[in-house]
Amino acid sequence: MVILRPEETGLKQLLERILDKGMTIDTSVRIDLGSLDFLGAKARIILASFKTAEKVGLDFPEGTNLNTPAWQNLTTNQPCPVCGMESRSKDLKEEGCPWCGWNYRPDEG
Amino acid sequence: MDGTTDQMRGKTMESTTLTPEKDSSGLADAIDRILDKGLVINADITIDVGGVELLGIKIRAALASFETAAKYGLEFPFGTNLETAAWKEAMIEKEECPQCGKRVDREELLNIACPWCGWESAKAKKRKKVGVRAEVQ
Repeated sequence: MVILRPEETGLKQLLERILDKGMTIDTSVRIDLGSLDFLGAKARIILASFKTAEKVGLDFPEGTNLNTPAWQNLTTNQPCPVCGMESRSKDLKEEGCPWCGWNYRPDEG
Repeated sequence: MDGTTDQMRGKTMESTTLTPEKDSSGLADAIDRILDKGLVINADITIDVGGVELLGIKIRAALASFETAAKYGLEFPFGTNLETAAWKEAMIEKEECPQCGKRVDREELLNIACPWCGWESAKAKKRKKVGVRAEVQ
């Protein structure tokens, strides 16, 4: 049986993309008065989902406990290409998706 | 303020929660998604006047639902009581049922079935099949 994901709306898809890929905004503004360097501003902003942030090594707020099981799951789990549900990468590769039964070697199991 | 209006409000709320909200709008969906996945906002901003650095701002922010925040060990404001039943419930790993959309215990959903709609995962079906075969033998 194949479980299809519910149809995704434009906004949702867009957000998903931004969260998954991460977004950086890097700007610098200079204002001169006459020939005098008057005002300058620099901003580096980064936006990402927890998963992406952990992958690319972003700083988390002080006091965040980075040893919870959820953090470990981020590195060991992978989404199924058919149903999108997450399971351990090893299981997904060797036994197929435990959620929808997808298996890239269909004759086995 | 007014008891009767409060009562009426309660009633209307009750009736709206009873109707299934399958056709959630795009915005609600998007917010749901953000809160669920969590959002990290890091920013470094510096402002200088006449070549002299005047002000520096460093922001490390994380935005998430209570459940996600608890899962990822974010710190809660001082004085939050983390011993309540709701927090213990939040620490159990949950997954959305692909059929009915209810959030249920991941292990139960994967190994047995959805307690709400009875949906069974491939793993649970396989297990059942193996179990029946063993019984026949």
